Amino acid sequence: MREPIFPVYNWITVRTGNTQKCKQNKWRELVKNIIMSEIIEYGEENEEEIELTAAEVLQQLEQAWLNEKFSPDLLECKVELVECMIDQITEMEENIKRAKKGDFKISIHRMEIDRIRYVLSSYLRCRLQKIEKYTTYILEQDKQRKEEEPCKLSQEEFTFAKEYAETLEEHLRNVALRHMPPNLQTLDPKQTAVKPNLEKYVFMKVIEDTDGVLVEEETLDTGEEIVDLQKGDQHIMRYKPIASLVSSGAVTLI
Amino acid sequence: MDPAEVEFLAEKEEISVVPNFTQDKIYLIGGDVGPFNAGLPVKVPLWMAINLKQGQKCRIIPPDWMDTERLQDKKQEETDSKFFTEMPSPHFMEITQLLLKCATDDIPHADEIRTLVKDIWDLRIAKLRSSIDTFLKSDATHAKLNYLTLMELNTARPFLTKALDQMHLLRSNLSGRIQSTQE
Amino acid sequence: MTSESVDDYFSISDILTTQERLPCKVELPIYRLGYLDSSSTSDDLQPGTKLDLSFWMARALCSRKRHIVSVEMPRPYREGYREILTADANVVDLHKLGPYYYSYGSQLLKFELPETADVAKSLIKCFQTRIRKIMDSSQNAYNEDTTKLTAKLDETEKCLFKAGQMGLNDFQRWETRQTEKLTTSEMVRSHRKRKRALMDDS
Repeated sequence: MREPIFPVYNWITVRTGNTQKCKQNKWRELVKNIIMSEIIEYGEENEEEIELTAAEVLQQLEQAWLNEKFSPDLLECKVELVECMIDQITEMEENIKRAKKGDFKISIHRMEIDRIRYVLSSYLRCRLQKIEKYTTYILEQDKQRKEEEPCKLSQEEFTFAKEYAETLEEHLRNVALRHMPPNLQTLDPKQTAVKPNLEKYVFMKVIEDTDGVLVEEETLDTGEEIVDLQKGDQHIMRYKPIASLVSSGAVTLI
Repeated sequence: MDPAEVEFLAEKEEISVVPNFTQDKIYLIGGDVGPFNAGLPVKVPLWMAINLKQGQKCRIIPPDWMDTERLQDKKQEETDSKFFTEMPSPHFMEITQLLLKCATDDIPHADEIRTLVKDIWDLRIAKLRSSIDTFLKSDATHAKLNYLTLMELNTARPFLTKALDQMHLLRSNLSGRIQSTQE
Repeated sequence: MTSESVDDYFSISDILTTQERLPCKVELPIYRLGYLDSSSTSDDLQPGTKLDLSFWMARALCSRKRHIVSVEMPRPYREGYREILTADANVVDLHKLGPYYYSYGSQLLKFELPETADVAKSLIKCFQTRIRKIMDSSQNAYNEDTTKLTAKLDETEKCLFKAGQMGLNDFQRWETRQTEKLTTSEMVRSHRKRKRALMDDS
């Protein structure tokens, strides 16, 4: 497992300008290192190294939260972002415990922690809801995943999904299936799996210029429709044509 | 999304406050704020400004657009234009609500501002409704929504997305059908 | 609503939709099911017998592969009704024509009857015409009884009406700052009631 959580950065005791700066920089370095080590751990050598500050991690987590909230499909789990933020919060809470009572900074830090915790739990909860709804489909997709593709679920989510699927199956068997005629006692997952509707409409905002997005395939009475997405534009369209752009970060759901 | 969550996002916007205390920089996870010098304006996130204000630790400087004259002009512009005009802040509604609730004493002509912002909102919502109608009656399958703020989109979201989903289903009936007779 | 996810096996509205009945004509003798036709005394269902079957059953008996019965477009989707809808869809009581008018209509297209393309077009047109009224009525009714407003809507439209109401209500609650007040959750409240009822019983 990943060993070092970065050493205590004690914001309460830092007083003079110089040390402050130095500690701050050191702290940033450490955050970067954590993120990098995560990436090395999860990705392979060909993965680019990304350097991020805590603020950038938070920004990306918020982005991931909104994307997850509005996408009909389950997106790839941002394990690194979640873990990094949890570490940050834990760290900050430790600091708060050591702080002088009545320091007004405490309330500010607490408030920020509460805000981050809200985003974190809303993000994870939203994923759990989708996992519960589309369990069979999600597990089936994971089975068919090629080795080089990343798993959409975190380790914990995967365990949850499997246990949930088993419990549900058992429940259905006990409540209904075993009372059925023998030839109707099994459910065919091909028929019964609930799938997300990827044709659902979503609002999105363009982050990077992307030309030639095929929004509508050619049918007999209409030609195909291609749009150029310009940075900053907002659109409403079906999720499917832009699903890959959401994953790559070229657009974000709003 | 719950409007309270839209407000949550709006609370990340920066706003100037004049603190009545002095304090070194605060190193938040989301970035540094401060240093604070009593009497000198400093930029902080809105959520923090509200917290400070509630603790009577600062005075809030309203954003420049929160001014009766500017809002009058904006209202006129919105009335004259067939399309949506660009708002001075992507979160104008939420910021107005929050500031008028907790910092009324820092905002000159607060009541007038409340009315003006509400008028602009109503104008835009009426426009939004007729655009939705036109959009749904047309054969268009997607639309550009520039200059609409998140709160506006969010209010229209449940109805608009469901209506379009349904339109898509009914349309694919037709195209699926034509394809299958061609087979 | 049906558009929540595609082909949801467990969707109640999908089950209800597919058990709507439609007129069928028996093409081949069906043995020992004569009792399904109350006007006949024969043991078997004879070719030529007309009877109404649920969609799911009709679908199993009438397809490209199998032709045990032939089906007819149910009346609300036939030309006469389509003309009424073209004239002014807004005044029609769609709920009366079928509580699942759109989704059932979409299902019926699978039979590939000659008027199928016209029905599909009529469904789109009808939806497009009625949508404005649904949107407006859902946006203008705040805190009032809406049963009257939705009485003439089919289930899909009712769903849309509810969605419109949700957008409005959530915003109004936020604007009047009612979201800030914490309230007892419905579950906790009814849980307490249940507990009390249990105690009263004992």
